[in-house]
Amino acid sequence: MAETTLRIERVSLVRRVLDSSTLYRLIALGVFGGLWQLATLNHKSLLIPTFADTVAAIPDLLFGAQSSALWNAMYQSNIALVIGFAISIVLGIPLGLLIGRFHRIERFASLYLNILLVTPMAAIIPLLVMSLGIRDGAVPARVTLIVLFAIVMLIVNSRAGIRQVDPALIEMARCFGAGELSIWRRILIPSSIPAIMTGVRLGLGRAITGMVVIELLLIAVGLGSLIQRFEARFEGAHLYALIIIVVFEALILIQVVRWIERVVAPWRKMPTFGGGR
Amino acid sequence: MIEIKGLSKAFPGRRGSEPVQALKDVDLEVRDNEFLTVLGPSGCGKTTLLRVIAGLVGHDTGTVLVEGKPVTGPGPERAMVFQSFALMPWDNVLTNVAFGLEMQGVDKKTREMKALELIEMVGLGGFEKRLPGELSGGMQQRVGLARALAVSPKVLLMDEPFGALDEQTRRLLQEELLRIWEATRTTVVFITHSMEEAVLLGDRVVLMRPRPGRIDQILEVPMARPRSTHLDSVESSGEFTALVGLLWNNLRVMHSDVRRTHPATQAEARP
Repeated sequence: MAETTLRIERVSLVRRVLDSSTLYRLIALGVFGGLWQLATLNHKSLLIPTFADTVAAIPDLLFGAQSSALWNAMYQSNIALVIGFAISIVLGIPLGLLIGRFHRIERFASLYLNILLVTPMAAIIPLLVMSLGIRDGAVPARVTLIVLFAIVMLIVNSRAGIRQVDPALIEMARCFGAGELSIWRRILIPSSIPAIMTGVRLGLGRAITGMVVIELLLIAVGLGSLIQRFEARFEGAHLYALIIIVVFEALILIQVVRWIERVVAPWRKMPTFGGGR
Repeated sequence: MIEIKGLSKAFPGRRGSEPVQALKDVDLEVRDNEFLTVLGPSGCGKTTLLRVIAGLVGHDTGTVLVEGKPVTGPGPERAMVFQSFALMPWDNVLTNVAFGLEMQGVDKKTREMKALELIEMVGLGGFEKRLPGELSGGMQQRVGLARALAVSPKVLLMDEPFGALDEQTRRLLQEELLRIWEATRTTVVFITHSMEEAVLLGDRVVLMRPRPGRIDQILEVPMARPRSTHLDSVESSGEFTALVGLLWNNLRVMHSDVRRTHPATQAEARP
């Protein structure tokens, strides 16, 4: 009897490990790292470090000799990210909701929205730098670019969210005497929250891309300048370690957004509006 | 309670096509404390009729009076139960049931007390903290019913409320509705496409015809109240079977699916 119970427990533990996605993520990471190591072992080159060297460089960047440079760069870059992303949220969500709810605004805004969606943002960096300048780390230019990168996702997903509100719910609210304000507060906004949070997550990814792109392409500050410095000194391991750190930052932030998503909208599984249209 | 005279309503057609005449010259009076069922094939305007009474859509001609006052929009004396339940998935049962009172500006404590009372009445005691997604369809519609009753309406408007439920659940909810109605005697306008349901629940059955939507005839249902205590014997009674049969004969020829291979059927259609 006791033996049976024990076996059931053991099986369920194995099951749990097999079912958890962490295991598969670790395997995927292991396969990737192994292939990298194999590919670079025999072709040592200045800018292509081995996987082991790269991993070893991560603690060096985080806590070692290079740490002050890293944290400085992180701070400089992330300041623009925080401001830019905050602006994107504050402007993008209400804008998307209004566009989705009112057809006149939609007609007016759709052209700009499409331009924003299809324009390669990198192409307008010179314009931004010329008009906003590069003094004091070019914060206005960087913030503007991050907004341009991120805001589309917030607008498009908020719009999709408010459009897929169940019309029966709006009708129900009107039936019980709700005015437009009450309908917004009690029906439209709560209904749209899952889609809005999807927009926040996708927008965050784009914001981080924007943050690095402008620093790499034109204004050498923050992480971008650090990347360029490592590149110029042929410090391949540090270069890739830094990129891995940036990727990890993005993953952590996105995980945080996912967690907020579950807290503010626990009533259903998230619909996905993958990257707009 | 409700007086409707010469009511017509057309919806604009799709690009280039004729407007759709949803209702034409409808005269109808709903008596105080009456349970009125409205039956008809799809496209007969029965739901439009209910939405006009609810004040959700306007009308072109005629008058619609509820308690002597013309309908210009939704009002607190009318409450609706929806076919799709229309519950807010982010709010628990208690908040959903209290929604109508919340919109009327009733303070939180009072409206939650009232809501708890109604939750108990529809048999959902203990479920007040659950989210709608955690409930079965039948339970969700009990929430919808409690929400409508919570505002103490003079008229309960029910738009095929059990249409989305399976046969057994529907049966249980019909019993439940009858039991509650027999206790409260609120005036009810109940839309359905089930002949059995129309006869089982109603004091009178309004039969509507499509294209354009209009009233075909109104039948009195003679079975005595209360019925909720002995639904089975109501359903097996000769009166019930005769009425359902009569309704079916009339409904049959209205259907667009009916093929005119049996001339006899058409001749029999009108009693």
